[in-house]
Amino acid sequence: MAIQDHSEPIGTVILHHVTNSDVLWPLSLFGFDISITKHVIMLWIAGAVVLTAFLLGSRRYRRERDPLPTGFSNMLEMVVEFVHKSIVTPNVGAAHAARWSPLMLTFFTLIFTANILGMIPIFDLIPGGGGGTATGNVNVTAALAIITFLAIIVAGTLEHGFIGHWRNLVPPGIPWPVLFILIPIEILGMFVRPFALTMRLAANMTAGHIAMLAILAPIFLLGSPWVGLGSVPLNVGIFFLEIIVALVQAYVFTLLSAVFIGAAIHPEH
Amino acid sequence: MEKLVSLDTGLIFWTWTTFLIVLVILATKAWGPMIEALERRQHNIAEALAAADKARAETGEMSAKYEQQLRAGRVEAQEILTEARVTAQKLRAGIEATAHTKADEIVASAQERIEAEKVKAIAEIRATVVDLSLEIAGKVLERNITSADNQKLAEASLRQIGKA
Repeated sequence: MAIQDHSEPIGTVILHHVTNSDVLWPLSLFGFDISITKHVIMLWIAGAVVLTAFLLGSRRYRRERDPLPTGFSNMLEMVVEFVHKSIVTPNVGAAHAARWSPLMLTFFTLIFTANILGMIPIFDLIPGGGGGTATGNVNVTAALAIITFLAIIVAGTLEHGFIGHWRNLVPPGIPWPVLFILIPIEILGMFVRPFALTMRLAANMTAGHIAMLAILAPIFLLGSPWVGLGSVPLNVGIFFLEIIVALVQAYVFTLLSAVFIGAAIHPEH
Repeated sequence: MEKLVSLDTGLIFWTWTTFLIVLVILATKAWGPMIEALERRQHNIAEALAAADKARAETGEMSAKYEQQLRAGRVEAQEILTEARVTAQKLRAGIEATAHTKADEIVASAQERIEAEKVKAIAEIRATVVDLSLEIAGKVLERNITSADNQKLAEASLRQIGKA
């Protein structure tokens, strides 16, 4: 966050913090703009953290047949077990859990890591714009939700065949005139679900940051450090709340993805 | 404000790229093996618990069987002891009875023999006394002596007999 220029309106400062930076390194691929911005960098850092943590923590699982969990690997195992046993298995079913757990684990770990990294101000030191919460950007959450959208279709198609999956959109035994209302609703629902995923995660991650900055703003607006006596403790409280939100939103995104995939596999429920 | 929701194809591209790289690497290197290990551990624990339950049931069954055997053994031992005691008592009574009979017999035969010896001894004494009397009488008649001599002679003769 660059607040060097104090004459800048507070609204601009806040927006600067929660929105993506300008292009740091212009790139293009087949005519598409794939320039590197601060949210791309934050995303890479999140990916690198997740990769490093899980590759280091799972070394013994690749070497030994029945490794006993110790220390760090115990913690990672807890995450894997939580997603596999508490999110995927109840929604997708035990028979399909092993297939979908890796996808759900990637959602959970990547989103949670990106959420938490956005709360660590050290990344502001990155030259050219600094840190930020990648998952607070709708483009990131939309890209993730599109993966869920595709996964739902893949899951339904693998289980019921291509035609079977689309037929499952409408429950059987419905009188035909109802179909005229139901089919548009179901098609709309198909897009509303990932859209809701997109907006929920992005809005939640952005809102916390806006709230914290808005609470800090009076210190600068009134130009008195005494305002900090109120703003800072309040922000500490919100910071703890944000840690919970970061965890809950990663959980909610993963859980809803699992629920949608489960619904495509078991349409009768 | 429009920056909050503006389309950024580059970011979408990089999100997919990052996501796919993390997914592919971790699915094969970390999550696959970890989920497999978790499932296998769960299976092993369930199996171990079932085996422990089975072993416990078996142990209970076996200990019940042993206890029953022990009880049966104790009863049998008691029976054997009682039987042995009865037999011993019988045996003792038999032995005592036989011993009594034998002792009585021995005493009876001893008494018989004593009686017979006594009779024989008396007969012998009687015969000896007669002989001696005859001898003493002969000596008395040969020497014609006084009654005092007779008396002395008789006594000497008797003494001689006693020495012999």
